[in-house]
Amino acid sequence: MPGKLFKSAAIVGAAEADEIGFLKQPKTSLQLHIEAISNVCEQTGIPISAIEGVFSTGWSSEICEHLDLKPKYIDTTAVGGCSFEMHVHHAMAAIHSGIIDIALVTHGENGFSANKIGGRGAGNYSTGGPSSPSLEMTKAYGLGGAPSNYAHAMVRHMHRYGTTREDYAHIAKVTRDWATLNPRAAMYSKEKHPFGGPITVEQVEDSRLIAWPLTILHCCMVADHGGAVIVASPKVAARLKTKPVWIAGAGESMGHSNMLEMDDFTATSAARSAEAAYTMAGMGPADMEMALLYDSFTITAAITAEMLGLAPKGEGHMLWKDGRAAPGGSFPINTNGGGLSFNHSGMYGMPLLIEAYRQLSGTAEDGINGDKGKQTSAKTCIVNGTGGTLSTTGTLVLVADD
Amino acid sequence: MAYDKPIPSQGIHTQPFWAGTKEGKLMLPRCEDCNRVHWYPRLICPHCHSKNLEWIEGSGEGRIHTYAVQHLAFGPWQKETPYVTAYIDLNEGDRMLTVLKGVDPLKPEEIKIGAKVKVEFEEANEDTFIPFWRVIEE
Repeated sequence: MPGKLFKSAAIVGAAEADEIGFLKQPKTSLQLHIEAISNVCEQTGIPISAIEGVFSTGWSSEICEHLDLKPKYIDTTAVGGCSFEMHVHHAMAAIHSGIIDIALVTHGENGFSANKIGGRGAGNYSTGGPSSPSLEMTKAYGLGGAPSNYAHAMVRHMHRYGTTREDYAHIAKVTRDWATLNPRAAMYSKEKHPFGGPITVEQVEDSRLIAWPLTILHCCMVADHGGAVIVASPKVAARLKTKPVWIAGAGESMGHSNMLEMDDFTATSAARSAEAAYTMAGMGPADMEMALLYDSFTITAAITAEMLGLAPKGEGHMLWKDGRAAPGGSFPINTNGGGLSFNHSGMYGMPLLIEAYRQLSGTAEDGINGDKGKQTSAKTCIVNGTGGTLSTTGTLVLVADD
Repeated sequence: MAYDKPIPSQGIHTQPFWAGTKEGKLMLPRCEDCNRVHWYPRLICPHCHSKNLEWIEGSGEGRIHTYAVQHLAFGPWQKETPYVTAYIDLNEGDRMLTVLKGVDPLKPEEIKIGAKVKVEFEEANEDTFIPFWRVIEE
């Protein structure tokens, strides 16, 4: 029995900025936002002026001002890369309650360009400030970027389940295989990027150490990305030229903010957010035909697959290792090439939404008219974003139009 | 050589902890109602939400919960790479982060989860002694 909000809203369009990846000419995060918003409105035929609610990581007031919107609903949830899955959840609730019919979820983050021109892609979701006792008690200990934290989870997962680093290396290899089918992926080919094109498990193992056991090919990239989706009520969806992809279920939760407070390093709050999403959908893991899992690191994807019930505990990596998740496999995962090989700007939740929309609306590029390419036949997809340091999660169960 | 790595700014309710470090004591917050120790120090007990908190002197002993070896670092930690970071399960309960001493960062497979560790304090400045943990036996 589905819950009350089942299919009460749909994603009716999803678009990216004009160009994404490692941009030669740097762009600001705002530019990436505006390009994506303009593109999604053109795609759906919804004029920018018709947007009633704006959902973005801390950017909403600037976006509204820039577009001279007078919204009825403003949401700035910024809890890491999964914020965008939560935005869809919140937009659905706002639509179901009758406050709005048309919601914009938008993302712009010049993760690569910021090296040249500066920027502020991410919202202010870091752990505390000068008055944060969790920062006070962790600041002295040499942790910096995300890999320095996530490596601790991989070590604990290996200890608990007897897995090896090579097990997770298959995730990087298979995800790269997907990227080689996607011309928009940063690592599509050697021509596109010197380190692009297919990779082997051995190459993943032998690449440069970042935070043992993580080598660089176990880690996502940091590039430029902008994207936007529109979430709309059934009555709006019915009159659009684009196909709706229905939100059958949605859920969110968190485990901690600072990794110091992560009770179990082999588990995330995705178990709870997925349970909420499955319950709303009246569906379970066995009903899912593909998955889009936030892969900031190979270990993130492996743990998430376990949390969503797609694999037994300790066996998440097997989905990739035995080929089920690969192109041509029975359960495609991360068909765009993932944060590992497609694009990741710092917060990767938006590319998950865009790829889910394209797959379920039958508009995934390159292959829609032939065998080669990444369009799958999936009609259901579970999407899970993970933010912070395995801290926060947002889960969506999406289904194609009947 | 003067301590050149990031030094935490001290909070108000955490003063008993920092005062303890100067005397070589690991002071830990404990709830007087549910008797559980927690870390990091809260304004309210995270287990039962009581405000009756006290400070006790911890044993300064614990075990490795998990660890990693940092090969890429920023700022003053750069010149220390590779170094081992670890989460320590305190004997009194809950967990601390540390840079682990007494281990070889180039032989990460030899570090044992569950190995016993003991706290020591390094003087960062006149007001700040930072706790670090050292492996004492496997």
